[in-house]
Amino acid sequence: MSKEKPSQHTGKPKGPSLFALLKPYRRLILLLVVLSLVMNSISLTIPKIIAQGIDAFVGHKWDVHGIVWEFLAASIGVFLFAYGMSFIQTFASEKVARDLRTQLANRISRQNYSFLQKTNPAKLLTNLTADVDSIKMFVSQAVVSICSSVFIILGASILMLRIQWQLALCVIAIIPIIGFTFYIILKKVRVLFKASREVIDWLNKVINESILGAALIRVIHSQQLEYAKFLEANAKALNLGLRILKLFASLIPVIIFTANLATLTILALGGHYVIGGQMTLGNFSAFNSYLTMLIFPILVIGFMSNVIAQAQASYGRISGVLNIPDPVETGTLVSGLEGNIELNDVSVAFGEKYALKDISFSVAGSSKTAVIGPTAAGKTQLLYLLIGLNQPNKGTVTYDGQPLEQYKKEDFHQQVGFVFQDSIIFNMSIRENIAFSDAVTDESLEKAIATAELKDFIDSLPEKLDTVVSERGTTLSGGQKQRIMLARALAIEPRILLLDDFTARVDTQTEQKILANVRQNYPGITLLSVTQKIASIEDYDQIVLLMEGEMIATGTHSQLMATCPEYVQIYQSQRSTSHYEQPELQS
Amino acid sequence: MSSQNYNLNSLTGGQPKSKTLPALRKLVGLLPEQRGKLILAFVTMVIYAILSMVPPVLIGFTINKVLLHKAAATSLDIFGWHVLQGSGYGLVLTVCACLLVIYLVNLAAVYLRTIFMGGFGQHLLFTLRNAIFNKLQELPVAFFARNKAGDLISRINNDTDKLNQFFSQSLMQFVSSIFILTGAGIALVWLNWRLGLATLAPAALMWIYTKLLSPWVKKKNAVALKATGAMSAEIQESLGNFKVVVAFNRRDYFRQRFDAANKHNYSSAIKAGIANNIFTPVYGLLASMGQMIVLLYGVYLVSTGHLEVGFLVSFILYVSYFYDPLRQLAALWASFQVAIAGWDRISQILSLESDLVTLPVTAAASGNGISGNGSTVVLEFKDVSFRYDGSKDVLRHNSFHMEKGKTYALVGPTGGGKTTTASLIARLYDPTEGVVLLNGRDIRTYTPRERAQKIGFILQEPFLFTGTVRDNILYGNEEYKDYTNEQLEEALHRAGLETLLARFDEGLDTKVLAAGDSISLGQKQLIAFIRAVLRNPELLILDEATANIDTVTEKMLEDILRRLPATTTRVIIAHRLNTIENADEIFFVNSGDITRAGSLDQAVNMLLEGKRVS
Repeated sequence: MSKEKPSQHTGKPKGPSLFALLKPYRRLILLLVVLSLVMNSISLTIPKIIAQGIDAFVGHKWDVHGIVWEFLAASIGVFLFAYGMSFIQTFASEKVARDLRTQLANRISRQNYSFLQKTNPAKLLTNLTADVDSIKMFVSQAVVSICSSVFIILGASILMLRIQWQLALCVIAIIPIIGFTFYIILKKVRVLFKASREVIDWLNKVINESILGAALIRVIHSQQLEYAKFLEANAKALNLGLRILKLFASLIPVIIFTANLATLTILALGGHYVIGGQMTLGNFSAFNSYLTMLIFPILVIGFMSNVIAQAQASYGRISGVLNIPDPVETGTLVSGLEGNIELNDVSVAFGEKYALKDISFSVAGSSKTAVIGPTAAGKTQLLYLLIGLNQPNKGTVTYDGQPLEQYKKEDFHQQVGFVFQDSIIFNMSIRENIAFSDAVTDESLEKAIATAELKDFIDSLPEKLDTVVSERGTTLSGGQKQRIMLARALAIEPRILLLDDFTARVDTQTEQKILANVRQNYPGITLLSVTQKIASIEDYDQIVLLMEGEMIATGTHSQLMATCPEYVQIYQSQRSTSHYEQPELQS
Repeated sequence: MSSQNYNLNSLTGGQPKSKTLPALRKLVGLLPEQRGKLILAFVTMVIYAILSMVPPVLIGFTINKVLLHKAAATSLDIFGWHVLQGSGYGLVLTVCACLLVIYLVNLAAVYLRTIFMGGFGQHLLFTLRNAIFNKLQELPVAFFARNKAGDLISRINNDTDKLNQFFSQSLMQFVSSIFILTGAGIALVWLNWRLGLATLAPAALMWIYTKLLSPWVKKKNAVALKATGAMSAEIQESLGNFKVVVAFNRRDYFRQRFDAANKHNYSSAIKAGIANNIFTPVYGLLASMGQMIVLLYGVYLVSTGHLEVGFLVSFILYVSYFYDPLRQLAALWASFQVAIAGWDRISQILSLESDLVTLPVTAAASGNGISGNGSTVVLEFKDVSFRYDGSKDVLRHNSFHMEKGKTYALVGPTGGGKTTTASLIARLYDPTEGVVLLNGRDIRTYTPRERAQKIGFILQEPFLFTGTVRDNILYGNEEYKDYTNEQLEEALHRAGLETLLARFDEGLDTKVLAAGDSISLGQKQLIAFIRAVLRNPELLILDEATANIDTVTEKMLEDILRRLPATTTRVIIAHRLNTIENADEIFFVNSGDITRAGSLDQAVNMLLEGKRVS
């Protein structure tokens, strides 16, 4: 980027980074700056044209045509340039915003899940919306406004100096006065702006939670409570708004008064010169016009310094995300998985606290393994580990003897299906929700639907597979969501299927049917299932019992029944009804 | 049965497209107690506008009397009034002194104007935000089921922000510009009506231009706001479900979907940006035309003796007093249109009414159930049918009742209508046909407060507020909210709930977040359970409330449920049979019918044979 005006203006703190952001768009920006300079040069001539007109008239050398043409040319020129500029301004700023968003989204999309957990999606949403908007504002307004403001101030000052330098100096004296007041007040306002942004975030949080928790609030009838929370935040926002207002209320009169004093000076001093014949009446009037031209740019620079400061802060946050290194994709291994999984002394810790501690067990290909254990035992963490959503702090996870990291991601995820515990349904058609990968053929889609026992349900929908389900799947029942998630995992024809508490929201009969379907339609699949129901896993090849992150025991049902009191306790808790849930019951 | 359409994106016909003025009036109407402030603001603005008009005319007279005749005059007469004494340059200085006084008064006027008008804007914003939030709280669950949470959140956050920007940044300038330009317009005509009217002629063109184009500008902005909403909904969905994106390695998919939303937002934002910039250059051009008219026609009038040269200078000043605020208005007009577009989207929400009204208690509403006074029947469905709007019946003509102190289980295949039944009991919805009676009285005659006290409902998807475990289990609990941790622990102990707390690392003070995986689903369910039990309801519904809790812990929950007062009725929905084995009665819910299943054996048989028609 060439030496642009913006970097020359007052000594506001600004890193070079924000302007570096404009580098790829330097042609657009340059064009914009040139257009604005041309336009402002033309605007500056208008008072002069009028002054000459008045003088010509007073001096009886009135030439109507000359004045009309000059005037028309100038104003139409300004008009055209103003339009051109507004188009380019909009175009440039939206383009910068769009590209920034794309870059951000690309960067985020390449990150690990742990990144997202650390960063908190709400923050990223702000990066992608509010932060990008403030940069957009910077591009569309700050760059051009500051260039043209500086230009107008300089231009008007020079022109006035050339007309009558003593008077000009008096008028120009208002610039530092206004500038200084502005600087002082904006410094205070900026702190309040920041605080009010925080209050708005707080307000939004209350609104968001009241929307997401709408059902609970209605069940408990706690609307009043929510309202009280909101009122507190809103009152704070009002308070801050009024404080900012007070500062501005003291700023604006000072500016107007200073400008008025300049009018006075022009009358008093200019009048003196006119009487003394050192200045023409036309120039006297031109001084008045230049004064009005002068005030606005001073204000603009002040406001824009604020826009720049905000954009700078936003860009700082955004670059924080943009500069996160992509996780290094080390995996190159492409191979058909047999399904032999091994965990070797694996630990996962969040800060001080272990979610999983020294876990070792292995799963043979085509076998069935169940993970069982109380709430908060680390079962879900274990599955996340196996699919690479979490990385172990210690120990290794291997598939067919090769560490998980060595597998090429795309290939690996094509072979491992995962059914999450919480219902995650996207706001799109059922077809897209199930065929969530390019690789899914119509055939495997059909098979997955049939296996998940979804066929009857989908056929009953008005638009079948193309029915759009709403966000968070609110129009589907819990079990339907769960089965759609299963179908999604099966549609990729996985070699390994990881189920996280799949049976929790599906009735026993359907569950049995589905598992039988899986066995039949996906022969040789390796199954690892987190579950609570012992009855459905009695015939499994292996059962792993987790408690508080530690592996208590592993073995078959009968082994555990013989050796593991904790397992027996869980078994006892389910015994009375377990005869209903035996696989044999199903004919 | 009023059936309100709650889908904001499909509201047709009656969509409120507010006109500028009525919309303003409606906004101001929200705030009767601030009217005084508004009037004061107007008064100061009028004073300011009038005083601002004096200097140019004084300058004009000075030029006429003094500057043109090089110090001949001895006094300043304005339209025959003998205003100022003095001679030559002394007169100029006297005029300056007058101006100084005027400027000082204006200083005060501007300050007060800012305080009053700005204060009014801030209070208006405050009231508006409250009104929206209040409305959100009034609307029933159906509203939230019909709208994407992401879209709704964006609509409210974004659109109120647009209003915020307008009220805190532009409103004052907007209104005071109108006053100034009115003053300047009057001064122009008053000084010389021919020249005045000619000067104002371009403004009439502007008015027509603005009038014609404003609807278009507003429309473009509305489209852009909608696209922004769609984009943030998209981001929210993708980021919220990022683990699926990772596990299925569909990062490319995330990018594609985001790209599409981003591009759509880009093109509509460009259109809105162009629309917003449509006014300013035209205003600039017409303002220049105004100046030119003053110059040409003014010179003509001076040469024919209808105008003095000094007033020509006054005119030139007035023209900028008139057209400068007008130009500012042009810039503000666009932000005003954005605010109006945001306001329209918000009024869509404000215009919705809850269709779950509380009916008055009448003879008809009570006493016609099986239950009379002293009856043990706590809840009764009479010929109840229900469907979500636009879809087929979920329940068809069902009648049954539940008695005090007993435990009921609802079983049935997924999608069979269990959650719907529970939602009707808690009146999250009203039946399409038939009535639900609570203690023999139409459930619609209970105030929400009474109802919430009597009925506890643990929802299928537990929701936690950002805060601590303590905050969440005491959420909405009037009785315990001021308890110290020790007192609360004792209360939990009495209810047998304290063992559950052990599942949280830091007990009551464990931090939880509304979003994310900071604690497990099972733990969330435990909190929801404690929360509901502590409220001690007469009727407690558990909708798969323990589905993700291990069976050993679940046994503890069962014990807790058993220890509830003898009058507490429990309604349990579960797939795990051991969860419901102790039920006194089992209902089988499937394909629109709720049938009594008798024993657990029978229920299981029905489950096995039941054809899923869901």
